[in-house]
Amino acid sequence: MIPSKKIELFCGTGGVGKTTLATSRAYSLAKSGKKVLLITIDPARRLKQILGIKDDNAGEVSTLTGEDFQFENGQLDALLMNPKTTLKRMAKLSQEGSSLDNPIVNILTKPYGGMNEIMAIIEVQHHLKTGGYDTIILDTPPGKHFIDFLQSSQKINQFFDKSFVDIFKYFGKRFSKSKEEQKSGFLSLIVKSGIKKLLSYLEKVTGESFVDEFIDAISGLYLNRSSFTEALVFQEDLKKADYSNWFLVTSVDQRKAHEATDLQQNAENFMHKDSFLVVNRSLTPYLENWQPDASHKGLVHLHSSMKARENTIKDMGAKRLNQYKEVLYFPEVLDIEPMTHVKNLASSWK
Amino acid sequence: MVTGKGGVGKTTLAMAITKALQEEGKKVLYNSFDQPLNQTLASKIDLPHFNLEMDSSARSYIAKKLGSETIAKWILKTPFFSSLFNMLPGLGHMILLGHIINKLEEDSELTIVLDSPSSGHAITMMESPRNFKEMFRTGLIVDDINRMERFIFEDERMNIVVTSLPTAMATQEAHELKEQLASRGVPHFSLVLNDLLSLSPSLKEASPGDLPEFIKTKCLHEERLLSELSDEEWKHIPHFAHERSPAIIKECQHLLTKGAPL
Repeated sequence: MIPSKKIELFCGTGGVGKTTLATSRAYSLAKSGKKVLLITIDPARRLKQILGIKDDNAGEVSTLTGEDFQFENGQLDALLMNPKTTLKRMAKLSQEGSSLDNPIVNILTKPYGGMNEIMAIIEVQHHLKTGGYDTIILDTPPGKHFIDFLQSSQKINQFFDKSFVDIFKYFGKRFSKSKEEQKSGFLSLIVKSGIKKLLSYLEKVTGESFVDEFIDAISGLYLNRSSFTEALVFQEDLKKADYSNWFLVTSVDQRKAHEATDLQQNAENFMHKDSFLVVNRSLTPYLENWQPDASHKGLVHLHSSMKARENTIKDMGAKRLNQYKEVLYFPEVLDIEPMTHVKNLASSWK
Repeated sequence: MVTGKGGVGKTTLAMAITKALQEEGKKVLYNSFDQPLNQTLASKIDLPHFNLEMDSSARSYIAKKLGSETIAKWILKTPFFSSLFNMLPGLGHMILLGHIINKLEEDSELTIVLDSPSSGHAITMMESPRNFKEMFRTGLIVDDINRMERFIFEDERMNIVVTSLPTAMATQEAHELKEQLASRGVPHFSLVLNDLLSLSPSLKEASPGDLPEFIKTKCLHEERLLSELSDEEWKHIPHFAHERSPAIIKECQHLLTKGAPL
């Protein structure tokens, strides 16, 4: 089996079977005696069912106890990301936690509020530090949003670093570190620095209370910036070959070779070369045993189009082979039960 | 608006709908929303479309509201606001949606086919007006958000096409998506089951004896699923065994023109 690392990322465009593959990897590692945590962001309901994840315990780690998950030595834990839980814990651990209790921050950390990607990084880091896991498997958001995820720590850094510094510079004359200002703290600094003035232009558009709450939200995030900027360390760690395994998942049944290539090129900026290209739902084993009768034009056409799709993905793999350690093929599982998929795929990891 | 999980054929379907409406003589434009347009494909099939660019859309929105291009430019140039836009995709989505609504209000003849982001982010998009309203409470933005909500949720102007692949897991996810959108107040839906192998023209005239086991199994699963879903109004689109997208779009377009509209 491919040696496990501290963190393993499954990424790819939407609908390629990332979550099921990530689950199968987690399952086979647990079976081999490892303590594994599987973190997913938005799994299908049926997958949630087999993992025993309920929406109301989103954000909490649970150990899988179903009869399919009885391992001799290993353990499989699952976690469905919930940005709100991450925020709460952040607030609890931080001296400035109370400043995060702000209407705007609360809206942004709703499950569809827009801070999913950033909070996911913080969550992963927390479990790396405290969970005692051999491996944490992360099922990442699809496609372009995965790149958002990878860039989020950069964005955070930019947000806190450049924005604040530049904005204070912009209002340079007003911005002086007098004793009085140091005393009166960050909030008044923000007000006096002129951000408030800038925002007052927006007040017309946005309404009055927003500006005050916005300043509170920003200063709350600023006071807790270390929790966010720690995520940058994580990103550096991901680049280390002895620390992470990257699995870039593609699927044969999709006509998205183009998009997959885009994603790869973007992701390759973040990953190391000790990574794997995964081709899911491969039909090769089935197609090898099928030669349609030449008289049946329809079937000949179907056969050749299936082969062509398979080859498009293979070519893509071949072209970028220098970026990967290996290309892994997972044959399509012809079954309707998700658990059968997981077990079947798990056997292919060997 | 065409949505669904990743890889279910949203773009193919959205483009086919656009072409089918155009053929009927309707004034129609395709828009790829926050995703980059597949230029090559669009020009190959001669697709009527328009593009919206996030930065300029945001700038023109703020300029309109404040009555000054200069201030708008200046606001968006500050790293503070540009990173804010980066961090909050919902904000940008909402501005794009606002532009689309403007375009529709300016021209009552026009239909826009929106190739929307996939499931999770479609929900973010539908949730954004409410979230931002909660955030801003008063001011010009809230007036705009109200207008947007009226447009999406009240007026009989928006239809959401939820697309799925023909597997039990995928259709269940499509249901969830539909429920979630409906709970946020979206009134009109069509459900589309895409890429049905058992209905593929390539299998016509083939007797079971001609088919390999794996295709028989796939067809069997599909037929079982279709009978489970028979009391729901799913529209069916067969698997078209073509290697190139334009040919598949063309087949879908013919199907939409011949059959009942979505």
